[in-house]
Amino acid sequence: MLKREKPKERFSYDPKKVLQQLERFGKKVLEEIAAGRNPFIDVPTRGLSNVYFDERDRLIKMGDKTSRRYLFHVAHARKFMQTLLIAAYIKRLVGEGKHASLREAYYANKHTILGSKENTFEDQSESDPVIEDLERMFGVLREEMHITADRRGYIYGNVVIRDGEDEFNASKLGMGGWAVPGTVEHIEFPEINVDYVLVVETAAMADRLIEEKYPKKEKALVVATQGQASRGVRRLIHRLHYEEGLPIIVFTDGDPYGWYIYSTIKQGSINLAYLSEKLATPEAKFVGMAMDDIRKYGLENVTEKLKGIPPNKKGGPTGDYKRIIEEMNYPWFQSKEWQRQLKLALKWGVRIEQQALANKSLEFVAKEYLPEKIGKEELLP
Amino acid sequence: MANSEADKLFKEFKIQSVSEFFRRNAAMLGYTGKLRSFTTLIHEAVTNSLDACEEAGILPYVRVEIEELDTEHYKIIVEDNGPGIPEKFIAHVFGKMLAGTKAHRNIQSRGQQGIGISGAVMFAQITSGKATRVITSTGGEEIIEAWVGIDVEKNEGKIFKKIKHSNPTGWRGTRIEMEVKDVRYIRSKQGPYWYLKLTAIVNPHAHIEFIEPDGKLIVFSRSSEEVPEPPEEMKPHPKGIMTDDIYRMTKRTTRTTVRTFLIGEFSRISDKKIDELVQYITALRLIKGEEEQSVKEQLLKRLVNGEVDKIIASFGKSGKKVLREVRKIMEKPPRKLTWHEAEEIVEAFKYMTFLAPPTHGLRPIGDENIEKGLTGILRPEFVTAVTRAPKVYRGGIPFQVEVGLAFGGELSSGLDLLRYANRVPLLFDAGSCVITSAARNIDWKRYRVDDVDRTPLALLVNVVSVHVPYTSTGKQSVASEEEIYEEIRLAVMEVARRLAKYLGGKHRKLYQVKRRKTFEKYVPEVSRALSILTGISEGEIEEMLVTIIEKKFESIEEQAVGAESNA
Ligand SMILES: Nc1ncnc2c1ncn2[C@@H]1O[C@H](COP(=O)(O)OP(=O)(O)O)[C@@H](O)[C@H]1O
Ligand SMILES: [Mg+2]
Repeated sequence: MLKREKPKERFSYDPKKVLQQLERFGKKVLEEIAAGRNPFIDVPTRGLSNVYFDERDRLIKMGDKTSRRYLFHVAHARKFMQTLLIAAYIKRLVGEGKHASLREAYYANKHTILGSKENTFEDQSESDPVIEDLERMFGVLREEMHITADRRGYIYGNVVIRDGEDEFNASKLGMGGWAVPGTVEHIEFPEINVDYVLVVETAAMADRLIEEKYPKKEKALVVATQGQASRGVRRLIHRLHYEEGLPIIVFTDGDPYGWYIYSTIKQGSINLAYLSEKLATPEAKFVGMAMDDIRKYGLENVTEKLKGIPPNKKGGPTGDYKRIIEEMNYPWFQSKEWQRQLKLALKWGVRIEQQALANKSLEFVAKEYLPEKIGKEELLP
Repeated sequence: MANSEADKLFKEFKIQSVSEFFRRNAAMLGYTGKLRSFTTLIHEAVTNSLDACEEAGILPYVRVEIEELDTEHYKIIVEDNGPGIPEKFIAHVFGKMLAGTKAHRNIQSRGQQGIGISGAVMFAQITSGKATRVITSTGGEEIIEAWVGIDVEKNEGKIFKKIKHSNPTGWRGTRIEMEVKDVRYIRSKQGPYWYLKLTAIVNPHAHIEFIEPDGKLIVFSRSSEEVPEPPEEMKPHPKGIMTDDIYRMTKRTTRTTVRTFLIGEFSRISDKKIDELVQYITALRLIKGEEEQSVKEQLLKRLVNGEVDKIIASFGKSGKKVLREVRKIMEKPPRKLTWHEAEEIVEAFKYMTFLAPPTHGLRPIGDENIEKGLTGILRPEFVTAVTRAPKVYRGGIPFQVEVGLAFGGELSSGLDLLRYANRVPLLFDAGSCVITSAARNIDWKRYRVDDVDRTPLALLVNVVSVHVPYTSTGKQSVASEEEIYEEIRLAVMEVARRLAKYLGGKHRKLYQVKRRKTFEKYVPEVSRALSILTGISEGEIEEMLVTIIEKKFESIEEQAVGAESNA
């Protein structure tokens, strides 16, 4: 049976750390200026060229390429100024214990530069990348710098959550559970009465499980991602695993999109490679839907056709087929079990939704499918 | 319609059988050395894409991708949005040496440097044992995917596998994938990166993307929306022809005698000229038979002076006999012409005089386009270019020189010499090239450039001609023809003068003022932010920053003054 294990990381949120980093950064720039030199900042390079899969840690990580931005360089000056502006803004935010959204950060820093018609930021597409750069430079999440991400997803289960001065049990807030906020850095868990976390792709399925009292019966914490997991949810999953020792089990639709959701939770994404160590959970396991479930549970008549053109047909592969073939090449899908699932999907040309399990009966998923598979640990790596 | 563009191009398609050509060594084809071979492979594919787009009037989009499969083992992918290749020609294009639409037309195209794409297919086949994958469509109903190789013995293309796909999106273009071994990717000034960068500069109408083996994407964006006119076809001029050209042409011609062949397929050769040619070949044969070295030399000198009649007469009876033999050559079918006879014809042409060929076949890049290209790719502070009027060398071969000069901005220090022949970058054998020697001869100090090695400069030279006189078969350096040397020198001096004017003039000062304003503009913003981060007062930081700016511009002005006093 799945059980809570010993934690591997400790609650580490400490606003002072970010403040110190910002100050150190400011000092370094100032030193160059005081020495009469052209001040610069080193920013880790973004993009595919600076990303790799770390076999040992099983994570997508950022390489060590950096590019140097000078203040007195025609092509860099503006970016340099913008980076400093946002750094100073974050120092104030964190210092005052306030949070802001990306959009608020943009508006707060946009103004006309004295003696010119130029704005410090012309639109949000200029300020967002600067915030990402700072994340990369300092190796911290923007949430730790008090810039919140969009919120999506909720949790339900017998755990006690401390959010500032409030404390509540996430199984006593009604069927809707507790909505995961944009920033979860400061959240603490004084009491945990579950054995594992079940991450569920669709809200419909999460609601079904809650209605069937699955969290209570199976001592599980249900996390609904509602599609691709938001940064807040991914960070929460990471913390529940590493700080609270809870095993993570993922339950998505049996299609390339669902498997991609699993892959981001597990290994991180290329866009956010620099944050993998804080957002990803390589130990996560996958319960379903898998292609083998179709035969095993007799779901042949509730599958749906894959979209796009198969690889062996004219013009193919496109759509779902193309996606599956890409996933087959992911280093973390190289295991025999995964290759088998992906190959079967290509061969049969079908996908299977979580909800298709309702075809058996409404309770089937909560009473048989999940308890059986999880109990026997019939899980994919 | 896309289809008819391709069809038109391929109507001209003829097959040339040329095993002689093939038998020569790899050096001639550009496949020597691990780096050079790599660049040649890229060159063959990319020039074909650009040429095909140009002929079809398409704004090119070319994507080059290199994947490292293992040490000295790569996959090269080149994709274009050109007219595509009709199915029935695929085997020939990729599998048959010299099966081009360009080679027999004698136009000034990029493609004539190497042996063509079949050479690349061959190289891939020899080194990796793998067939080349070709995916192409003329924009019609279907996309053809084929694996092609070469049957070396038959000099014939072989298609190992062919699949047809439907084309619902109407994709048009060509993508080739080659697997090669025994080459090495290096990011040097002789490698693929530099080759593509130089290609992008002289093709501002092309969008070129490049993915290096480490995954880095490099984009050379389009900076002109005009597709250049494709070059016009021109009959070759006797002064610019080489033995293998004649030899190859004889195998293809439909003319019935060597005489009508020479008259019909060359410019400036009349019936009377053929009689003259017979005399010159005769004279050369006779002179070659002469044993005494000093007599030989004397006779050759007289031949240059046009005393051909007298020379033949001086040999008396044997002169007449040789004359009869040579006359026979002119009356036999061209197919029967031997390599040696072709050589004799070429040698005789050298001693004869012909009317200069027409110049309308020349296709310069144009000064405006050179400026666009240099600006778009190198982002300099200043750029200028000249295209000189056409001239002739060796008494009759037209050529034209173009020069561009870029200074400052994002250029790195030192003078980069970018050499081209007919818009193709020349990356090797710089030492023996007339472009190098002519450019070296410039005294930059006279043009307000004190220290060339520390001044950010790029000098582009393009030599345009239907017959560029290459120093060797590798076609990477242009021979030192006096007229060409002189034209390059004059053109470089012209652009250097313009640079001097700029450096001394108010434009430069305006630029510096603008630059200084950019920096000063951000000082208050940066100071405020830094003050928040460090706790040091805003005013103090501002003062320090202003001092740095002042010092920076002081030293720039000093440099300028230094240059002026030297001028
Ligand atoms: N990417 C391409 N798109 C369209 N046609 C092409 C392409 N590559 C090659 N070809 C055709 O194949 C012919 C042979 O090419 P090649 O062997 O390189 O010789 P060359 O370029 O000297 O003509 C070209 O003349 C052209 O008609
Ligand atoms: Mg070619």
